[in-house]
Formats: sequence, C-alpha cells, structure tokens
Amino acid sequence: MTTDATIEVRGLRKRYGPHLALDGMTFTVRPGQVTGFVGPNGAGKSTTMRVILGLDRADGGSALVGGRPYRSLTHPLRVVGSLLDAGALQPSRTARNHLLWLAHSQGLGAARVDEVLDIVGLASVARRRAGGFSLGMRQRLGIAAALLGDPAAVLLDEPFNGMDPEGIIWTRGVLRSLAAEGRAVLVSSHLMGELQGTADHVVIAGRGRVVADATVADLLAAAAGGRVTVRTTAPGAGAVLAEAGATVTPAGPDALTVSGLAAEEVTGLLGARRVPFSEVSAHRATLEDAYLELTRDAVDFRGAAS
Amino acid sequence: MRYALRAEWTKLWTVPGTAWLLLGAVVGTAGLGALAAAACSPGECGADPTRTSLTGIHIGQSVVAILAVLAIGGEYATGMMRVTLAAIPRRPAVLAAKAAVLAAVVVPAAAVAVPASLLSGDTPSLSGGPVLRAALGSVLYLLLVALLALGVATVVRHPAAAIGCVLGLLYLFPIVAAAMADPDWQRRLEKVGPMSAGQSIQATTGLDGLPVGPWAGLGVLALWAAGALLAGALALQARDA
Amino acid sequence: MNGFLLAVRAEWTKFRTVPGWVIATALAAVAMVGLGLGPSMQGSCGRHGPGSECAMPVGPGGEEVTDAFTFAHRPLTGDGSVTAHVASMTGQLSDDRALLTPWAKAGLIVKDGTRPGSSYAAVMLTGAHGVRMQYDYTHDRAGSPGTAPRWLRLTRSGDTVTGAESVDGAQWTDVGSARLPDLPSTVEIGLFATSPQYAEITSESIGTMSAATQRSLLTAAFDKVTPADGWTGTLVGEPTNRDRGGYQQDGDRHILTGTGDIGPAVAGATGLGTTVTQTLVGTFAALIGMVVVGTLMATGEYRRGLIRTTLAATPGRGRVLAAKAVVVAAVTFVTGVAAAAAVVTLGQRVLRSNGVYVHPASTTTELRVIAGTGALLAVAAVLALALGTLLRRGTTAVTAAVVTIVLPYMLVLTALPVDAGRWVLRVTPAAAFAVQQSAKQYDQVENLYIPVEGYFPLPPWAGFGVLAAYTAVALAAAAWLLRRRDA
Repeated sequence: MTTDATIEVRGLRKRYGPHLALDGMTFTVRPGQVTGFVGPNGAGKSTTMRVILGLDRADGGSALVGGRPYRSLTHPLRVVGSLLDAGALQPSRTARNHLLWLAHSQGLGAARVDEVLDIVGLASVARRRAGGFSLGMRQRLGIAAALLGDPAAVLLDEPFNGMDPEGIIWTRGVLRSLAAEGRAVLVSSHLMGELQGTADHVVIAGRGRVVADATVADLLAAAAGGRVTVRTTAPGAGAVLAEAGATVTPAGPDALTVSGLAAEEVTGLLGARRVPFSEVSAHRATLEDAYLELTRDAVDFRGAAS
Repeated sequence: MRYALRAEWTKLWTVPGTAWLLLGAVVGTAGLGALAAAACSPGECGADPTRTSLTGIHIGQSVVAILAVLAIGGEYATGMMRVTLAAIPRRPAVLAAKAAVLAAVVVPAAAVAVPASLLSGDTPSLSGGPVLRAALGSVLYLLLVALLALGVATVVRHPAAAIGCVLGLLYLFPIVAAAMADPDWQRRLEKVGPMSAGQSIQATTGLDGLPVGPWAGLGVLALWAAGALLAGALALQARDA
Repeated sequence: MNGFLLAVRAEWTKFRTVPGWVIATALAAVAMVGLGLGPSMQGSCGRHGPGSECAMPVGPGGEEVTDAFTFAHRPLTGDGSVTAHVASMTGQLSDDRALLTPWAKAGLIVKDGTRPGSSYAAVMLTGAHGVRMQYDYTHDRAGSPGTAPRWLRLTRSGDTVTGAESVDGAQWTDVGSARLPDLPSTVEIGLFATSPQYAEITSESIGTMSAATQRSLLTAAFDKVTPADGWTGTLVGEPTNRDRGGYQQDGDRHILTGTGDIGPAVAGATGLGTTVTQTLVGTFAALIGMVVVGTLMATGEYRRGLIRTTLAATPGRGRVLAAKAVVVAAVTFVTGVAAAAAVVTLGQRVLRSNGVYVHPASTTTELRVIAGTGALLAVAAVLALALGTLLRRGTTAVTAAVVTIVLPYMLVLTALPVDAGRWVLRVTPAAAFAVQQSAKQYDQVENLYIPVEGYFPLPPWAGFGVLAAYTAVALAAAAWLLRRRDA
C-alpha cells in the first residue's frame, strides 16, 4: 500500500438506450473511511463501480483513483482491489489458481496468494475447484482477490450477498480493519441495515445520481425527526394532540404517530385531558429509516404493495 | 505486457481443458492423417500423398479453434472478463497476451502432430523441399487458424456462437466453391477462403493447378487472422466489458 | 394437459424468449436463402437471342432426353427387320486422343421418324458394356459382353421389336424385346452410331475436385446389311453432331460417324446444366446455425445452474430431454422447410434467368428435397442437443456436431478420392445430404456419378437414416447420462 487512493467520481453520465443509468453521479471516497454506497436496485451503483474500474465507458464525467484514470494504472490491483461479481470465475479452475493468475498479472508471486487465502480463511479448500464453492465461499474468494495487491483502495459490490451471519460479521470486521489501516473502502449495498455499524460515511444513490452524501451520524440525527408512537383506542386522542400543534397520523387500529411534540409533552397532555393510553414511545431512527425517507421518490422498481 | 503474458499463461494451464484439447489436436491430426493414408494403397493416395497424410489437419484446426475460442469466450461466459480487465486495464495487451500464449502452445502441439502425420503416411522423405514446406506450413496454418478463432471470439464473445462462426467461415468457401459450375468463380472463392487458400501450403505437386500458390495462400489466411484480431482489438477497446 | 405437453410448452417458451436463439434461427434461414439465391452460376442458355434457349427433346415417357446420332435409314411399313454386321468401331476424343468411350454406341434402330425425342428401340454394340437392347430412352437390357465384329438383327412384329445378336451370322441369340404400342405402322429403320461426352476427373486431391469433359466421336463400319439398298443419311439432334457427324455408303460398306447419345438427359459432367440441389448450397450454413441453437438449448441450462430449476419443475429427466428435442426439431424443421421451399422455387428461377439450365425435378422429388432438407436440419439440431447434454460444454458440442456432419461432406467434395468419398458418405452422418439428391442416376448413361456432381452413394432416405441412427444413439446416451448424473 503506497499511493494515496482517494476515489473521485465527478458528474458521471451514462445511457443504455432509453434508460438513463447515470445522471451526474458525483461523490468522493476518502482514505481511512468505509464509505457505504446505497441505493435501490437500478440506482446506478454497479454501473458507477464498473466505470471507476475502467470496465464501462461513461458518456460524460470522470472517475479518478488517486488523481488518475484506472486504465492508466500499471499494476491496478496494487492500487484498487475490487469485487464485482463473486460468480465471475471459470468453474474448473481451483481457488488458488484463480488467484495465481491474478497475482501473475500484477507481478506478484504465489506467496502472496497463500497469504490472502489465509486472511479469508480459504486455505484449507485452496486446491478445490472454485465451481463447487458455495456463494459465501465465492464471496470470500472474491474478497481475497480484492486484497491480493495490498491496495490503497478497495471496491466491493454487494459483498454481503449470500453470506451467513458469521460471514457478515467477518466481512464487517475486514472492512473496519481495512479502513483503520488507512485505505479508502467503498462498499455498495441495497440494504442500509447491513452497513449500520460498519460505514462511516454513506452515499445514497437513486435514479443515477446522489440523493444524499453525509456521515452516518448526521443522517441518523436528521432521520429521527422527534416522532412518537402512542398506543390508544380513545377516539379523542388525535384531536387533543393536534390542538397542541402536533401532526398526527394513524398507524394502525390502536396507534398514532405523532410528530412535533416530545414524548414527555405527549404523556403530559394526554394525562391532563384524561385520555386513556397504554404506551407512549419515542422513535429511535435507524439508518434504514433515514434511507427510506431519502429514497422515497427515487425508487425505480418499487413493488405495488409497498 | 510481461505480467499480462504471465497471467495468461497461468490462466491457460490452470484449466484442465487445455491439456486435453492439445492432446486432442495432436491425436486427431495424426490419427485422421494415418487413417486417410491407410485407406489408400501405397502409390495411389491421390495425386499428392503428402497432402493425403495431412488430411488430419481438419480435425486439428477444429480443436485448435476450440482452444482459441475458449481462451476468451470462456471468460465472457462466466463474467471473468471483468476481473481480467480490472487487473489489466490495457485491453490490447490482454488480447496480445492471449494470442502470444496461444501461439506458444499451438505451435509445439502442431510441431508434434504434423511430422507424426507425415511419418504415418506414404510421403517421400521429409527433407524434400516441397514436403518440408508442407510440414512447416501446416504448423503455421494451425497457428493462424487459432489466431483467427481468437479474433472472431473476441468480437462474438459467446463461445458456442463464436465456434459456429469460425467453422462457418472455414467451410463456407470450399463448399460454395464446390457447388459452383463456373470454374472462374470456383477459383476466385478458393483464392480468398481462409481454409482453401491456407491449405494450399500443403500441396507438393501440381502447384500450377492451384488457385493460389502455397505461400501466397498461407498469406491469405494470415490476412484473415490479422483482420479478425484487429476487429477483436477494436471491439474490445470500444465496448463496455 | 399431460406432463409431457407441459414440458414441451415450457421448453417452447424458453426457446422463444431467448432473443439470440430466435435471431440465430432467422439467420440460418437467411443464410440458406442468401447463398441459394446469390448470383452463383452463370450460363449461356437464352442469352444469345432466339434459338439459344436450352430446350431438350422430351421422350415418350415425358422425361427430358438426349437424342443425337447419325442415322442411315429407310422407311418400313408394317412388320420387317434389318440385319447388319458391325465390322469395327473406333473412337476419338476432341483432344485427338484415340479412345472408344465406354458408352459409344453403334447398331440397329427402329424409330418413329427422325424427330429427336420420338419413340424407338435399338440393339447395339457399346464401347465397353457389350451388346445392349435399349428402347424409349430409359430402358436398357444387357446382352453378351462381346465387342465388334458382331452380327445384329432388329425385327419389328406388330408393336413388338426384338433385338438379336450373333457371332457368325448363323447362330442367333435374342438380346431382348420391347413393346412399343405407340409406334405407327410406318417407321424409320436402319443403322446408327453415336458417342457421348467423355468426362474424366482431372484433379482429385488439390482443392476442389474438377472434371474435364470433352466431345467424343465414334466411327462405325457396317457391312453385309440387309436390306442392301435405299438408305438415306440423317444427322439427328444436336448441332455438334450435325457439324461433325457423317454417313458414307460404299457398296456394301456403310461408314457412320456420330457424336451425341440416345438416352435420358442427365445433370453433371457429361450432361447439361444442373439440378435443384444446386440451390441448396446454403444448407450447411443453416446447419451450423441450428447446431449452435440445439447445443445451447442443452448447455445453456448448465451455465448458471438453470438445469436445477428446470428439473425441479419437471422431475422426469428423460421427459425434459424429449421436450427439448421436440421443440428444437419442430422449430428447425419449420425453418428449414420454409427456407428450402423458398430456395428451391425461387432459386430455380434465378438460375434460369442467369442462363443456367436446371433439370426440372418432379413435384414429388421437389417435395422430398424440401422436406428432407428440413428434416436433415432438424435431426442435426437434435444431435447437437444430445451432444450438448453429453458434453455440457457448448464449444466442444458445437464443434463435435459440425465436424461429424459437415466435415465429412466437405472432405468428400474437396479432398477425398472418389472411392473413399463414397465410403464416407455411406457411414458418416454426412450421408444425410443424400436426401437433397434430385439428379437421377442412369447406369446406361456415361457420366461421373460422384458426390460433387450431386450423386450420392445411398438412396435419399437411407442416407438420412444414417444421420437419424447416429442421433438416436446420441440421444439415448444423453438420456441415460442425464438420469444418472447429479443435476
């Protein structure tokens, strides 16, 4: 790991026929942080990653790694390690040989291959056909390939897909330690929850552009928004709270969601007017809430029921 | 480029198919050649016994074409091409490395298969000029077919469709020519077809009757291979991976 | 619907929803039509104004015939006979080589006038096929294997004509007799001589095999002719015979020089023009396309593990394979028949407008060629499906299918000696191309009956059966393996 590898994505545009895949995508991935790249399916996450890696050509804009286009790098895997599709390997080759040809392409030796196999815990199955691997094992092999060149930046596209809980925890640990070593880490996911506790910074994409770009702390603060849930069957409860200036929306047969009042104020008001209630609880925002809030308008493929 | 070569070399030898295909190319070439030579009694192997004992080149070229198509088509089929291009972003280097590695395995295999075919046949001694030319030319022929197939597969990407295109391209000219009654058209087609022109290098007698001379014919095939590789390189460069 | 029909329906949906397969199928048809209708051949028929049309005389059976010979004749009313001694036969090729072609003919003939194509019966000596009795162009019976000098006699009695031969003019043997009910009471009877086009293979191991054809001339001397007088010489038929033929009577000696033939018209080296098979040259291109589709229907299942979904939906594995075979065969057959029908009908027109003479094939032959081409493609696609299932690798399976079907055919056309080629077309899947044969082979007509001229060693459906047998074996092996193997 030698170079500074800030990834700078500036105004990427790309069109596939009538479909606008990227529409001015702009963000920066800084070293020493895990940047989560989140968005619904079709938001342009994978396309952006392919453009960063020089696989797809953008119609406009630029994607630079440490100030240089990826395709100009001499030993790119020593600068940026990546995992796009864990299934992208020839099934008849063994795991070790898959890493070996990659190592040879970067002027690395077999010793480094055995090192990364140890890191991802595949040393015992290194000489088995990769075609017979489970999805989780393939993800580990893909992460091994990303780590092979000891890169300053790491790009992982949906690394949690198909992993068991143990694998997810392990992957999170790997991501944290990569960032702690000062690397720039970009991890995409369509589930915000997967990134909670892992990402320092989140870029939320929708319809080919960035919807939000903030630290996790700021996002959580913004999303909480002081909402309170009241469990009550009393018919007058809504009116009482609305009089006091709150916005009240029914949330089921015996529940109301209240915003604009703190939980203590709600309890006080209802108690003073002798309105019966069984529970008053303050909302704790999750990243998921923040995400849903922000992408409400930006979802391409929302199911009809939700 | 050095690293690209090394990576492609490792890649080629770490799939079990390669060794089998090379063995198949050698056995197929020598086997069919021996069969063809055995089918005719000595002294009656057509007008050109050298050529008859090299009939196996038809099997050899098919196997070598599979090898070449899989060298790139196999990566497209699995999506591994993206991994390769992420590791080596200079795309022409990837294609050049594949071509070089392919040459490095096809030429030795052909250099075993061709003399083996000649030895099993009713051939005058290998040292004779025309026979030597046929032998050397057949080795180059197999190499050029492999490069042609590599170029086509880079353009087509889908391996099964690519091998279909390669075989179609090879067989189209001789079959259409055979159906022609007009001898001028027949010769014209044989002159430009990659297989019919390329295989004229195997002729040791009746050179005046050939539509195209031995080395010129091999040159026609070389043009086809160069054109296919160029088209492949352009497509690889222009397209998203 | 029963399970099998459901599986067929599922496979059909799978097929039509992969754009690549539909496109490949369409391209196969386009390639076949394109190569068939392309400006492949040029001829001179009808291109040099009126009179240059290639019209052939039509024989009593409605078939096209060649009828050119030198005729020394006199009328005969009612019954009667002619007897002659054929003293010598000498042949000459137009390149001045002295050679008596195997089917050079000299002998006695009774004919309904001198118009080409009219009914006849003849007894004759041939260059290499002994004494023959022939009548109405397509009928041929062998007599003794002798050559000149020899006595011949031809007798008409009512509508029966009998030919006889003799070594010494005393002991006569019947060669055969013909019933010619349409023969009028007054006919022309007499001596004739003719000699067909001579074809030889000039190169058979360098590139495409080529044949050289040239005119041959026969000079036959007759003597001791009965009746002795009243002979007129006529040069019947083609212009070449009218230029080169001749008749001289010198006392008892009659010298006839002739070129041409009396027999059914054939396509190929010694004949004129070509056949509808010519238009189907694109079949091999369509075959490669359909082989790719057939293979992918099998190997596509293995690439991303789709086979597990398929077998979860239809657990009967043999049924899955059968359903795939039915779908790919049906699609290919329909495509192949449509393309073949277009090429056979339109292709003939294109060839004719290019001045190429195309032998008219009977409707049944055309239908057989069209249906046979569709069936050939369909079975080849099923073979590819079976190979794809066996090998599970698309590239290898496509190559295996193409190499086993197309390569032998191509080697036969271009590289193999004729005998080896005939052998190959009996035992390899390429035998199936016989189903496209439309030229009729007549053993009594001098010609090169070789595959490159469109003559196959096996009868059409027998050749097709060879491919079908290979396919059946491959399909059975595929079904067996599919049942045994883990998905």
